[in-house]
Amino acid sequence: MGLVQKVFYFHMSAAWVGMLAFLMAAVFGILYLVHKDLKWDRLLASSVEIGLLFTVICILSGMIWARPIWNTWWTWDPRLTTVTIMAFTYIAFILLRRSMDEPSKRAQFSAIYAIIGFVTVPLTFFSARLLRTIHPVIFGSGEVDMNLNQPMLTTMFISLGAFTVMYVALLLQRARLMQAEDDLMQLRMHTEIDADWEDQADA
Amino acid sequence: MKTWLGTAWVLVWKDLVQEWRSRDVLTSMFAFAVLSLFIFNYALELSPIDRAEIAPGLIWVVMVFAGTLGLNRSFAAEQDQGSFEGLMMAVPELSVIYLAKMITNLMMMFGLAILVIPIYSLLYNQSLFDLRFFGILMLGAWGYSAAGTLISSMTVQTRMRDLLLPVLLFPLLLPVNMAVVKSGSAIIAASSVPEFQSWINLLLVYDVIMTVVSIMVFEYVIRE
Repeated sequence: MGLVQKVFYFHMSAAWVGMLAFLMAAVFGILYLVHKDLKWDRLLASSVEIGLLFTVICILSGMIWARPIWNTWWTWDPRLTTVTIMAFTYIAFILLRRSMDEPSKRAQFSAIYAIIGFVTVPLTFFSARLLRTIHPVIFGSGEVDMNLNQPMLTTMFISLGAFTVMYVALLLQRARLMQAEDDLMQLRMHTEIDADWEDQADA
Repeated sequence: MKTWLGTAWVLVWKDLVQEWRSRDVLTSMFAFAVLSLFIFNYALELSPIDRAEIAPGLIWVVMVFAGTLGLNRSFAAEQDQGSFEGLMMAVPELSVIYLAKMITNLMMMFGLAILVIPIYSLLYNQSLFDLRFFGILMLGAWGYSAAGTLISSMTVQTRMRDLLLPVLLFPLLLPVNMAVVKSGSAIIAASSVPEFQSWINLLLVYDVIMTVVSIMVFEYVIRE
């Protein structure tokens, strides 16, 4: 395949983070519904944003690879379909959050949508797989479709590890930023209330 | 258990009587569906053989789009009248409300299918009267109502309301859409699709999972 094969390491790692972020969003959703702590909601929202970013990276890098190898930018393969539907779920998710103001209600709806979305992903994948596939199957297939030699495997696992670490780092940073935004909002509200008080005292 | 189902049935009956007196929603859904069939006719001028292949897909797409009109209205009466708190107090368990609204939506889809199938058969001169096909449509409508009712109970509480419903709902519906279209065209075109049974199983699995998960989480949607 030549140079274009190098896309694979980024492509697969981005896909992995996209899936992982989706799983974690559902986990954080369940944790929120159980504990009612907005900490989990912030992690959930961060996970969704990061997941969308990496899913888009995965789709675009896949297209760059597919053009020379499959001779087309796009094909209706199960994995392509599933990942793209996942991206649409992420976008829907962000739209849902943006059209709600009340933090606890928004957190509840986010949690529910994350759970429902996560439940349908395997079904989407399965339904798309009932049609045929041309996507290379790397793991768990009987046929030797795409042999990975030892240096390739090593590179892939290092890449997977690095992307996972990056996901965790981004997640924590984004959640901390959200916390700061919330704190700032609280402070603003307090100072406004205080200012109102002072105005009334002056008058 | 008896009061659970009994209450659900009372609520379904209430919604159906209400709909029967105004006939607003079903009329709009029906008009929309027939208009879409007209538009599709000009968009796809097909030979009779191709038509048999795509008929189930066309019917299902029309039902899905027309169905969003009904889903958007499914909590509208309570929202307009401000009677949702009363409804919440009247039921033994909050999930009953979900079950009732889901059954109502399913019945609307049932009514729509009964109206649209003869009209399609008439306009396109192709008989779609097949009980198995109808059964598949209803299995699809079950999954559609199960997911749609939950999503619409969420979207009525957001700022974007009916704008948001299709965006949130359609990504979740892909398995249903594929299963209905594939298994439906296998029946209508009388061709053999090897995975026919798998599609039906997939539909059943989707319907059951979606209903159960929705019943479990519904109380979080409406409780403050």
